[in-house]
Amino acid sequence: MSTTMREATRPDAAVATSTAPGRRSRFVASGGPTYLLLVVLALIYILPFLIQISTSFKTEPEAAVNPIGLIPENWTTAAYERLFRFSDYVQWGTNSIIVTTVVTAGRVFFDSLAGYALARIPFRGRGVVFALLIAVMAVPGVVLLIPKFLVINQLGIYDSYTGMIVPLLADAAGVFIMKNFFESIPVSVEEQARIDGAGTFRIFWSIVLPMAAPAVMTIVILSFQGSWNELNHFIVATQDPDLTVLTKGVAQLASGQLSQGTQYPLKLAAAVLMTIPVAVVFFVFQKRIMNASAGALKE
Amino acid sequence: MNPHGDTIRRTRRGRRLALMSVGAAATMMLAACGGGSGFEDQGAAAEQKSDAPISVLIGSSGDAETKAVEDSVKSWSDESGVKAEVQVASDLNQQLAQGFAGGEPPDVFYLSTDSLASYASNGSLEPYAADLENADAFFPSLREAFTYDDEFWCAPKDFSTLALVINTKLWDQAGLTDADIPTDWDGLRAAAEKLTKGKQVGLVFGPEYQRIGTFFEQNGGGLTNDEGTEATVNSPENVEALTFVKDMMKDGVAAYSSDVGAGWGGEAFGKELGAMTIEGNWIEGAMKNDFPGVDYKVVKLPAGPAGEATLQYTNCWGVAAQSDNIDGAKSLVEHLTTPEQQMAFAEAFGVMPSVEEVADEWRAKYPDLAAFIDGADTAANLPTQEGAADVISEMNAQLATLKDKEPQQILDSVQKNMEAVVSQ
Amino acid sequence: MASPGKVRARGGLGSNKARQAFAGWIFIAPVVVLLGLFLFVPVLMAAWVSVSDWTGRGSPFSSDVGFVGAENYSRILFGGGLDTQDFGTAIRNNFYYVLLVVPLQTALSLFLAVLVSKRILRGRGFFRTAFYFPSVTSSVAITVLWLFLFNATGVINKILSWVSIDGPNWFADPRGVLHIVFGVLGVDTAPSALAGSEFLGISWWEWLAGPSVAMSAFIMMAIFTTSGTFMLLFIAALQNIGPEIHEAAMIDQANAWQRFWHVTLPMLRPTLFTVLTLGLIGTWQVFDQIYTGTRGGPAKTTLTPAYLSFNAAFNQQDWGEGAAIAFLLFAIIVFFTLVQRWVLRDRDKVSTRGRRARAVAVEGER
Repeated sequence: MSTTMREATRPDAAVATSTAPGRRSRFVASGGPTYLLLVVLALIYILPFLIQISTSFKTEPEAAVNPIGLIPENWTTAAYERLFRFSDYVQWGTNSIIVTTVVTAGRVFFDSLAGYALARIPFRGRGVVFALLIAVMAVPGVVLLIPKFLVINQLGIYDSYTGMIVPLLADAAGVFIMKNFFESIPVSVEEQARIDGAGTFRIFWSIVLPMAAPAVMTIVILSFQGSWNELNHFIVATQDPDLTVLTKGVAQLASGQLSQGTQYPLKLAAAVLMTIPVAVVFFVFQKRIMNASAGALKE
Repeated sequence: MNPHGDTIRRTRRGRRLALMSVGAAATMMLAACGGGSGFEDQGAAAEQKSDAPISVLIGSSGDAETKAVEDSVKSWSDESGVKAEVQVASDLNQQLAQGFAGGEPPDVFYLSTDSLASYASNGSLEPYAADLENADAFFPSLREAFTYDDEFWCAPKDFSTLALVINTKLWDQAGLTDADIPTDWDGLRAAAEKLTKGKQVGLVFGPEYQRIGTFFEQNGGGLTNDEGTEATVNSPENVEALTFVKDMMKDGVAAYSSDVGAGWGGEAFGKELGAMTIEGNWIEGAMKNDFPGVDYKVVKLPAGPAGEATLQYTNCWGVAAQSDNIDGAKSLVEHLTTPEQQMAFAEAFGVMPSVEEVADEWRAKYPDLAAFIDGADTAANLPTQEGAADVISEMNAQLATLKDKEPQQILDSVQKNMEAVVSQ
Repeated sequence: MASPGKVRARGGLGSNKARQAFAGWIFIAPVVVLLGLFLFVPVLMAAWVSVSDWTGRGSPFSSDVGFVGAENYSRILFGGGLDTQDFGTAIRNNFYYVLLVVPLQTALSLFLAVLVSKRILRGRGFFRTAFYFPSVTSSVAITVLWLFLFNATGVINKILSWVSIDGPNWFADPRGVLHIVFGVLGVDTAPSALAGSEFLGISWWEWLAGPSVAMSAFIMMAIFTTSGTFMLLFIAALQNIGPEIHEAAMIDQANAWQRFWHVTLPMLRPTLFTVLTLGLIGTWQVFDQIYTGTRGGPAKTTLTPAYLSFNAAFNQQDWGEGAAIAFLLFAIIVFFTLVQRWVLRDRDKVSTRGRRARAVAVEGER
């Protein structure tokens, strides 16, 4: 956030917005309406979440009568209490955290390794691997629901953390992103290191990878988001209630397991809680992304 | 940022990571080649062990049901010395399918009439029910519901029927008395008209055959003939019944629960969006928990031109053919279906006992709900042929747009699908 | 097994090539093994299941599972029964979903990216965050939120009521949007030409239903949630174009739109291609929302091939049919992706030179 602030108050930005009449009219012409539009759009994007939070603290009748009010008339934490008392919400959350952490770490490492190999290391079969990767990217995850169940079962890792985590450890899209990024780094940097006698892994690890921080960050975000929000893999990989993750648990809650009828405050509370970790991580990484891109801009 | 700094430390760590990745890859290769398979060999039946632990998979309506089943299973377990564990499925159908496909199904589980045919026909089920000591104690219509290929596969767990539920406050406000309680279709329509006021609809029910079908039966219709050998979906009786329903909806005196913004009939009723609904005995628990302030009474569904009729719903205790303790499973089911246990379940979560002998006891205990158990005599089952459930869900899809469609047209298209199922 | 590190230590330029090849394979091995094991092998297994009569009991490779050839496929495609009807319905539903979501989300995300990429914008970090946030939340959470917003007495209908519109009961409304439009125009029953003939088990009139009201709510949800992700891709691409062109486009007010159209957009082509491809792949596999929200209802108007495949296998033990539907869906996605690839590539050849010329012209103007 600090970067954003700094940027917004940069001298030239200030100049652009406030001085010289010619520039000023230009701001009005382009900036003013843009601003208005942006604020309206932002409201559309943000309000649903605010409504979601406030409704989770409402009573059910109030949620039905006054769905839009941002301040509940009768504050109640009944929905949250019910969630913790009558469901395995805590267990679901723990499982989600375990799986997401391991999967994200694994993906960052494996994807960047493979991406680097495809971008930079000439080896026999690279073209084939790359073609296969493209082909694999075209295989939609949802098509794999049944197949994945079959193979997970065949390997004897059905209904286990192994079965939940290992199949998610690599993704072709991530490899692709890393490959593209590595290709955009000038070869000259590595050539110097190679002349100095550095080996492939050292060049990768200590020279190229640090330069790829923005791409790594992208992978972290995508992997975290992807595995935290993954639903269908967990539907087919487990049946044990102790291995239920948040997505699966809340999805089943939404389709009426814990409750008959609508029960919106309860369901929204479940959704709010499962969004908090991902939101926190998002804001943390968001800041670093801004730093990285701001840094890139300065040069 | 200095990308060249700290090279040595990074390199060492890097090398370790590289080794790890190679190791991981190798492990996976091994797993791919020689890993133990989750699929069990299904050729031979499992070796029977009389003390093998029994797993029970249930789909629970709530804590009360879970606890009641757990208590009952535990008491059997204490008595027999065989370990037994109850697991509550979050999605019973799916979990059961995955259990069978994975070669580790539960020993004993809830099984719906919908799924009976497919599990029975592929050899997943143990046809044990005829051997039970209390095999003859069940209601005949329930035995029939779980008979497939002339074999009585599994013991009915409990059952529910549909009845007419009336909001007494709204009833009185509309100036209606006990004499107005509908006994035939005209009476139902008249009451619904009087009860329709502003946003409040006279009669609400779920947009599905599982409710609307009662009218079919009351008119002497149904989806198949009694033997289940012939599809009769577009019979004149059914067309007439569906037209009656459509007309009420068109005139605004009846509506689907979804049309008034509720998830099911009970919710629409509880929120007083509708003054009458067609629901089963599960509505009692829902009213008690979610809408304690709403007073209601339960009466039999009105008779149609062909007499009284309702629909019934039931589950059974399925036993897996590949269980390694089938005798234990059978003994557990016998325990679960004793009159005492049946009454205990009834008390805990509002179901009706599947054994005939305690029907009177139940009626005496719950006089307000007597209409439900009285319905047992005239209750019809939904068709249970393999694929029939799909046809009904397709039918429900069409019934959702009943207002814009011709009853004849809907029933004709369903007839075609039902014929395919019946002729199998 | 030696690590790349050890190989490196030995040095020597002669073995360079072999060394690199070895390193390359080591680098790529984990991904290849993982993807092979959990993408390639499963596909082969499912291919077998799709031509077998496996009922989900025991191993699909045991001797009593029979080979039924293309029976599952032909029942779905040509059987004319319920399986065909369901498949046709699912394809129709998803087709309209793709048709609306892909162009709208691409346009919106590009629009947002251009807006928040303006250098003079105060607080653009905030706006980026706002637009991107829905993308990070799970589809399950968003679906729950959407079910609430669009329920009969929900937020959307409340807002509509302010302008005196009696909103529909979104997720329970199976009416096709196009049918509603036809109805307004006075055509509310099927013309006999359309009602009589059918394709994939449903009549042409039904094909022309458009997305149902329920599906429309899902369409809005997809646009809402994915525009942020794609916006990020476009922002990155806009930054790569470089400030000189970017600023040039801003300095000359009068030509801003033209510059965007003739300079920026062509340079965004690779990103546009990525966004469209990802969009196309993603929108054909609608599953999470349906599983969480409607389970195919109302009246099967939110049934999608992905959910149908899942349901056939996991709820109805018809694994062969489920696997067959999955492969048919796969074929559809590959087909559309190839078509789109072909369309974009074709244009690219024509315009590369012109684009370069324009870029040079812009440089010259500065």
